[in-house]
Amino acid sequence: MSEPRSPQPAPIRLVLVDDHRMFRSGVKAELDESMLIVGEAADVDSAIAVVAQTRPDVVLLDVHLPGGNGNGGSDVISGSGGVTTESGVPVRFLALSVSDSAEDVIAVIRAGARGYVTKTINGPDLTSAIRRVADGDAVFSPRLAGFVLDAFGAAAGEVAVIDEELDRLSTREREVMRLIARGYQYKEVAKELFISIKTVETHVSSVLRKLQLSSRHELTAWAVGRHLL
Amino acid sequence: MPAPYEVPQPPTASGQLLPVRRLARPVQGRYLAGVCAGLAEHLGLKVRHVRLAFVLACFAGGAGIAAYLFLWALTPQSLGTPPVARADAVAIGRPTNEPVRNLVVGLGFLFVGGALVAQQRGVNLRLGVLIPVLTVVGGAVLAWSQLDDAERSRWLVGDMGPAGRRAGLLRLGIGVALATIGVVVLVTQGRGFSGLWEVGIPAVAVLAGVALVAAPWGVRLWADLRAEQARRIRETERADIAAHLHDSVLQTLALIQRQAGDSAAVVRLARAQERELRGWLYAGPLGSQASLASAVTEVAHEVEDLHGIPIELVVTGDRPLDVGGAALVRALREALLNAVRHGAAPVSAYVEVGSESVEAFVRDHGPGFDLDAVPQDRFGVRESILGRMSRHGGAATLRRLEQGTEVSITLPVTAPGAHPQIHPDEQNDTEALTDTHARTDTEVQADTEGRR
Repeated sequence: MSEPRSPQPAPIRLVLVDDHRMFRSGVKAELDESMLIVGEAADVDSAIAVVAQTRPDVVLLDVHLPGGNGNGGSDVISGSGGVTTESGVPVRFLALSVSDSAEDVIAVIRAGARGYVTKTINGPDLTSAIRRVADGDAVFSPRLAGFVLDAFGAAAGEVAVIDEELDRLSTREREVMRLIARGYQYKEVAKELFISIKTVETHVSSVLRKLQLSSRHELTAWAVGRHLL
Repeated sequence: MPAPYEVPQPPTASGQLLPVRRLARPVQGRYLAGVCAGLAEHLGLKVRHVRLAFVLACFAGGAGIAAYLFLWALTPQSLGTPPVARADAVAIGRPTNEPVRNLVVGLGFLFVGGALVAQQRGVNLRLGVLIPVLTVVGGAVLAWSQLDDAERSRWLVGDMGPAGRRAGLLRLGIGVALATIGVVVLVTQGRGFSGLWEVGIPAVAVLAGVALVAAPWGVRLWADLRAEQARRIRETERADIAAHLHDSVLQTLALIQRQAGDSAAVVRLARAQERELRGWLYAGPLGSQASLASAVTEVAHEVEDLHGIPIELVVTGDRPLDVGGAALVRALREALLNAVRHGAAPVSAYVEVGSESVEAFVRDHGPGFDLDAVPQDRFGVRESILGRMSRHGGAATLRRLEQGTEVSITLPVTAPGAHPQIHPDEQNDTEALTDTHARTDTEVQADTEGRR
């Protein structure tokens, strides 16, 4: 899971948002010293306040939260719009959920989260996911990749003719998503497809953008109807 | 020796007392009083068909209406699906006076039937009198039976405050109005139209006035009925959830506390419980038993339970389970078993059901193994995965990655109807492999060699 990238000199500043204190302390125990937890919050309103005050690199965000407009994590993201870190980079959000239901995941991704992982993720994987999000890349769990393949009709063979098409995946994006669904790490995907890790990250980010911008509004309903997530 | 894979059976309520199937009117999914819905459930027919039959029967001299009222009066209301071990709560209300009521209503119907027959035989029953009288009686009965038992008892007890008592008065008003109509018709007997005008117009005017005054209360009555229904549905759901949590989550938590020392057992318990709860929360009421995706999911869960190693399963697309699909599921099971036995976590499985082929991948992070190094007499990989797939027109390859092993299985999708050749030994083919399929060994080996 280690990245062949220059190690970060400064620790990643992190805010934990989860309404279960037990889970927050569990995450704290699992993260290594390259992460610095600068704030915690248990509901939408305090989360927005903490994010605005601490301006962290990454917010680890539970999908289900009390408060706000009742949309949980999505409310925190929309409420923290425009907040940047000291160096002017927008604050990034990594969604973390125990629920795999499509509405929740897609809602928080479309609200602007850079990735989604389940709460069963282990420590090293979580660390690398946070680092990836801090670098502005996207994090896809196998499940999310499978959902994307299904929702964009890629599993059924629909492929975009031009890469810019928002409602379909390009051939390459489809291959990357398939490998992620098969449990491959980014570097394994890169090796498999004879491309660089950076290119893999570009493809994943582009899929994330499509997921956020696509007007394929049957996306969620379709997946929910088939209990995909 | 792995057990032969079995096509998943619908979950049976083993160990759980099945309630006696008795006709009851469900609270949920009803239009009027739930008679059709209850009848459909009881007879195993579609609600739509039963409703249609009733509507059609209404044109047959109003038989549908009569039957509906009859069933309404005699069928108790159900509390919906009874929670576990609550079979006694299927039917509520009218437990004691039911035989008496049945008798009375039955006699009434007998009387009406007899009267109709007699009339046809030429006996003059003075229908001019009989019909108004029956209208009076019928109207009153109808007005009273508008309400369910619970509602009625609430009114009779009078714990509803002033609004409720006024609604009770309204009830009385309706009864009186119906009686008035009957009386008016009776009184005007033999006096022709002039008499009808004399008595009828004031009567109609009075009735219209009463209706105008009573309308708001009628609306309130309706809203009250609605609220009552909603409340009951909520209560049912709440009881359902409580029963489920008790039987599943609390039991598991107790088990976990007792086995806190055994981390593998705890993980397994937690995982199984999570899956069960997830299925209960997010899956629909009907699990499509015969679909490829559900069969794959079931197999993955089974292997997970056997070895306590979590499997990250992703399935996209779905199709009905056919012979080839069942073979793929068995091969996948074998691959998963291999992965959890010889490989290392995390184990990932991805099944993609496309329009032209089904592809499945099982990946582990173990040290990996070489197919050539596996002794010839071991059938696990060579026959149960590779051989089986090639027999069904598919293919399987084994690939050694830098970290771990990946088994890929592909199966071309056949059009429905064009069944591949069914092998008689597929029912328990893990045992009966040796004799018939000696040829596949070399073929598959060549195949894997080529792809490696």
